[in-house]
Amino acid sequence: MAKEFSVIGKSIIREDAFEKVSGKAKFADDYKYDGMLFAKMIRINSTHAKINSIDFSDIENEKDILIVTSKDVQGKNVVGLIKHDQPIFCDEKIVTPGDVVAMLVGDDEEKLNALIKKVKVDFTPLPTLTDATKALDKDAILIHPELKSNLIIHHPLRKGDVEKGFAESDEILEQTYTTQLIEHAYIEPECVIAIPKEDGIKIIGSIQNPFTARRIVSLATNLPLEKIEVIQAQLGGSFGGKDDIMCILSSRAAVASLISKRPVKIKYTREESILESYKRHPYILNYKVGYTKDGKIKAMKIDILADAGAYCSMSPFVTWRTVVQATGPYEIENVHTDVRAVYTNNPYTGAMRGFGSPQPIFAQESIMDEIAVRVGLTPDEIRRINGFKNGSITATGQKLQNHDVNLITVLNKAVSLTNFTNKWKEYNKEKPILNNYEFEKPILEKNKFIEPKKLLQKGIGLAVSFRGCSLGAEGLDETYCYMSIEKNGKVNMISGLAENGQGLRTTLVITAAETLGITPEKINYLETNTTLIKDSGPTVASRGTIMGTGSVQNAGEILKERLEKIVREKFQLDENDFVSFRENLVFSRRKGLLTNFDFVCQLAFEQKENLSAIGYYKSPKVDWNEHNGQGDAYFTYVYGCQIAEVTVNIGTGEVYLNKITAVHDPGTVINRLGALGQVFGGVTQGAGYGLFEEITQEDGMIRELNFDQYLIPTAKDVDEIKPFFVEGNDIYGGYGAKSLGEPTLELTAAAIANAIKNATGKRFFNLPINLEEIILGKKIRPQNLNRGSL
Amino acid sequence: MINLNCKVETPKSLNEVITLLSHANSKTKILAGGTDLVVGKIQGSKRFIDTETLIDINKIDELHKIEFIDGKIFIGAASTFSEIEENEIISKHLPILKKAVSTIGSLQIRNRATIAGNFVNNAPCADSVPALLVYDAELELMSANGTRNISLQKFLEAPYKTQLQRNEIVTKIIISTPNKNLKGDFYKLGRRRAVAISRITLALLCEIENNFIKDIKIASGAVTPIGKRFYELENFAKEKKIEKELLINLSQKIGEEILNITGLRWSSAYKLPVVQQMFYQLLNNIMINKNENKI
Repeated sequence: MAKEFSVIGKSIIREDAFEKVSGKAKFADDYKYDGMLFAKMIRINSTHAKINSIDFSDIENEKDILIVTSKDVQGKNVVGLIKHDQPIFCDEKIVTPGDVVAMLVGDDEEKLNALIKKVKVDFTPLPTLTDATKALDKDAILIHPELKSNLIIHHPLRKGDVEKGFAESDEILEQTYTTQLIEHAYIEPECVIAIPKEDGIKIIGSIQNPFTARRIVSLATNLPLEKIEVIQAQLGGSFGGKDDIMCILSSRAAVASLISKRPVKIKYTREESILESYKRHPYILNYKVGYTKDGKIKAMKIDILADAGAYCSMSPFVTWRTVVQATGPYEIENVHTDVRAVYTNNPYTGAMRGFGSPQPIFAQESIMDEIAVRVGLTPDEIRRINGFKNGSITATGQKLQNHDVNLITVLNKAVSLTNFTNKWKEYNKEKPILNNYEFEKPILEKNKFIEPKKLLQKGIGLAVSFRGCSLGAEGLDETYCYMSIEKNGKVNMISGLAENGQGLRTTLVITAAETLGITPEKINYLETNTTLIKDSGPTVASRGTIMGTGSVQNAGEILKERLEKIVREKFQLDENDFVSFRENLVFSRRKGLLTNFDFVCQLAFEQKENLSAIGYYKSPKVDWNEHNGQGDAYFTYVYGCQIAEVTVNIGTGEVYLNKITAVHDPGTVINRLGALGQVFGGVTQGAGYGLFEEITQEDGMIRELNFDQYLIPTAKDVDEIKPFFVEGNDIYGGYGAKSLGEPTLELTAAAIANAIKNATGKRFFNLPINLEEIILGKKIRPQNLNRGSL
Repeated sequence: MINLNCKVETPKSLNEVITLLSHANSKTKILAGGTDLVVGKIQGSKRFIDTETLIDINKIDELHKIEFIDGKIFIGAASTFSEIEENEIISKHLPILKKAVSTIGSLQIRNRATIAGNFVNNAPCADSVPALLVYDAELELMSANGTRNISLQKFLEAPYKTQLQRNEIVTKIIISTPNKNLKGDFYKLGRRRAVAISRITLALLCEIENNFIKDIKIASGAVTPIGKRFYELENFAKEKKIEKELLINLSQKIGEEILNITGLRWSSAYKLPVVQQMFYQLLNNIMINKNENKI
C-alpha cells in the first residue's frame, strides 16, 4: 500500500539543529545560579571494602564546607529502578570502585578537589568477585549478603522438547561466545543542578528519564512527587546511559541543596563518569544447535550468563529482552533457553542502546553462518530456510501477525544491494592461514612472512534480527501528548517522552504537522518538565517514535475534528463532502480551496471552541509466563539486515570497514533525515563494539578511564554506510511508525564478525575482534594500571 | 574553563624568552601547543604537576618559520603539525615528515601541537620522531650562554627525558636536503584510523642503485622505549642485493634488535611479530613493488 503524506517521510532539519551547531543550546553545565555550590565525591581506592570510619577532622574547621553522608539522606539511602540495592552514599561498605562514600559541598571547586584528599577513610578490603562464572558457586562471596545470593534474575524459556529436536537432527553444533563490557561514551559527562524552592525542589540535568529521576529523588528526600520538578536540559548523548546514574546524582544534589538551601551542582569529569556510570553487560553465551543436512534448525539450547556488576539496575529487563530474542529471527520448534544475571564487584551494568540484543545476535548470527558452511549453504540461504515469515511462531510461542513480517524482504534487499552471494563465495575460496605466533619464539620464521599481495583480504558478512518494539511485557506502556492551538494558528505541544538527542521532538512535530495539515514551523515543542505533563514512561526501548507518534496523532485528530466541524458550518458543506487540511490550507472535495488553517483557528477562538487536547496512546495487551518464557512478548516487531564488507590486514589484524549496508524496516519513516542519522550513528557505534571498544579491569579497577584509552570509532573508521528502508505496514504506532534506534546498532558487530571469517577463514568467538584477537587469537593486557606518560 | 594555576609569561621575542629562561627553575616550563602539558597537568602527571611558571612562546613568529637556505631546511621549533603538513618546502623535500605529521592526533591537535613539543616531550610513540631521525635532523638550542647544535638522536635520552637544559629552548630543526634520489615511506599502526596513539611506527629512507641498497636509514617509534635509528642494521643492509631473502633477513634482524632492547614485555607477543611483518611489507613496497607512500 502506497502511503501518501505531505510532511511525513521527508527530510526535515531538526528543530534543535541551529542552536546546537551555533553553540546556543543550553546543556546542564550551562545553567548557573547565584550562590550556587558544587559537590565533589569522596571515593576509596578499593573494589570491595568494609568502611570502618570516615575521618573529617582535617577539614572540619574549613569555612563554608558542607559534609554530606548517608545520615543526611532524609528518605531512603538505598534505591534502584527495579530492586533497591544501590546506596546513594556508601558509608558501610563499597562493592565496586565507583561507589561514593560521602560528598563535600562548597562554593570553590578547586578547593573542594584539594579537600577531598584530606578526608581519611579507614577501610578493610574484602575479597573480590570479578569473575561472573564464579558468582553462583556455593562458596562465592556475596556482593549483597542480605539478598542471600548473587543471582539477580533467571529467565527460563521452554518450547517443545529440545532433546527430541536434537535426536531428530543430523548434526549438532555447540559453541561458546563472549562479549565485553562497554561504555556508552556520551560526549557530555553527567551534570545536574538541584535548586531549592520555597516548597520543594527543582532539578535541571542531563537526564534521560525525568520521571524516573523524580521518583528516585522522591524516595531519597521523602518529598512527594508533586514537590519535585525535573527539567531536562539539552542532552549531549545518552544511549541509555543517563538513567540510574542521573537518578543517583540528582538525589545527591537534592539532599545537599535541601540542607544548604542553595543550588548545588554536580558535574563529573570523564574519569569519574567512566568510573561510576553503568555500562553494557558482558555476556557469556553457550549455544547448542541441532539441524538437518538441508539446513533446517530443529532445536536450540541456549545458556547465557550476564555480568550485572555491583547493582541490579535494569538487568532483569535487559536479560528479559535477551530471552525473548535469543534464538534470533528463526522459527524453531524446540527451544530451551536460560538467561541469568549475577552480581559481581565489577562496574554495574544496565541499559545501553541494544538492551540485551547485541550480545545474543553476535552469538546467534555467528553460529548460523557456521551451520550454513557445514551444510553447504550460503549465509543468506540458511536464513531464508529458517527465517520468520508471516504467521511464524517465535520461541516464546507468539504468532507474528498484524504487521508485515519483513525479515526475508530486508534480507533479500540487502543481498541484492551488495551482490552478497557472489562476493561471499568468491572471498570464501582458499584463505591464507592466519599466523599462529608463539610468544617464546618472537622472531618470525621465514615461512611466516606474508607475501605483500596476500596482506589484505576481503570479506563480506551479514546479520539479521527481529526486535520487539517498546517495553513489551516489561511494564505499563502508555504515552500522553498535550496539544493546544492559538488563535493565530500556532500550535504548542509537549509529550511525556524525552528528547535525548535522538531527534524525537522533530519526529513528534512532524507527526502533529501531518495530522493537522500544517507545516512543522507552526509548531512549538515545549520544554520537558515533570510538572507540566503526565509521566509517559521512560524514553527507552526504541519506543519514542512508536509510542510518541501514537499519542500525538491522537491529540491532533481530536483537534482536527473540532476544526473540521467549524469549517463545515462556516462553509455550509454537505455532509457527504470531504474536508482535508494540507500545508496550512483547508480544502473540500467539492468546493476546492476554502480557506487557510489560521483563519479556521481564529474562527474557533471566536466561537469559544476548545482547542486543547490530551492525546493518549496505550500499547495493546502483551502477556508473559515467567515460568516457561511463553507469551506474546511484544505487540509488534521490526526487522533488519546489515551486510559488512571489510578488508582485513592479516599482518596487523586491522579491519577496514569498506561498506556497511543497513536495510531496516522501521515501519513508516517519519523524518528521513533523522532516520538516516540513526543508521549512521548506530552502525558506527556497533562497529566500535565489534572491533575495539572495551572496558577492561584489573581486580575491578578500570584501565580505560578516558578517551585516550577507551577508543570509539571516528568518522574515518567506517568508509561508507548505505542505509535503505523497507517501510512495512503496521496497525500500531502513529501512521504505522515503529522503531529504528536500537536495531541499527545491534547487527553491526555480528555482520563484521561474519565478514572477518569470510576474509580470513577464521572464526572469532570473543568481542571485540581487536588487533590482538585477530593476530594472536586472544586479548593481551598491561600488567599494571600505571601510565608511562604520567 | 581550565585553570592551570600557573603564572604565564608571554614574551614577544626570542630574546625575551632567553632572558626569562635564564631565571628558570625546575618549576618553569615552556608552553607551545600545550597538547601534552595542559592535559598532563590536569591529569596530575608528575612531570607537570609542580609547574608554576609557563613561558608561552606562541606569539613568537620566528619560531614558526620554515625556510630553505643553501640546501638546508630550517623548521621553526614551534611550527605546528598543520603548518608543516601544508608547507611546500616540506612537501617537496621531506615527504616522509609530511606523512608522519599528517597522521598525528586530529586536525584540532595538529593545529596546536608543535614539532619540537613532540620530541621535547619524548614519548615513545612520538610520531614525528622516526621521520626526523631518518632525515638526520639536527637541533639548534639557545640559552643565555649561546647557541649549540645537537643531533636529534643524541638529544633524546630516555622516555620523557632529553638533553634540554632548564635554561634552554629548542629554536630550530635543521635538515640537510638529501641531494640524491631517495625513496622512503612512513608507516603507522594505531588501533583506529584517526586520533590514534601509535602502536608501531616505522620510517625508512633508502638509495637504490641497480637493485643494490646503496644507502639506507631506518627508524622506529613506539616499539622501543624511545624513537630510535637502527645503525647496525643499516650498515648490514648497505651494498646488498635486493631480494626476498634479504628483506626477510632484515625484518628478522629488526625484530631481534628490538627484542634485545625491550626484552619480552606484555605487548611483545603482538608487537614483535607485527613489526617484523610490517617492516617486511614496507621494504617490499619500496624496494620491489616501488610503491612509495603506499602501504
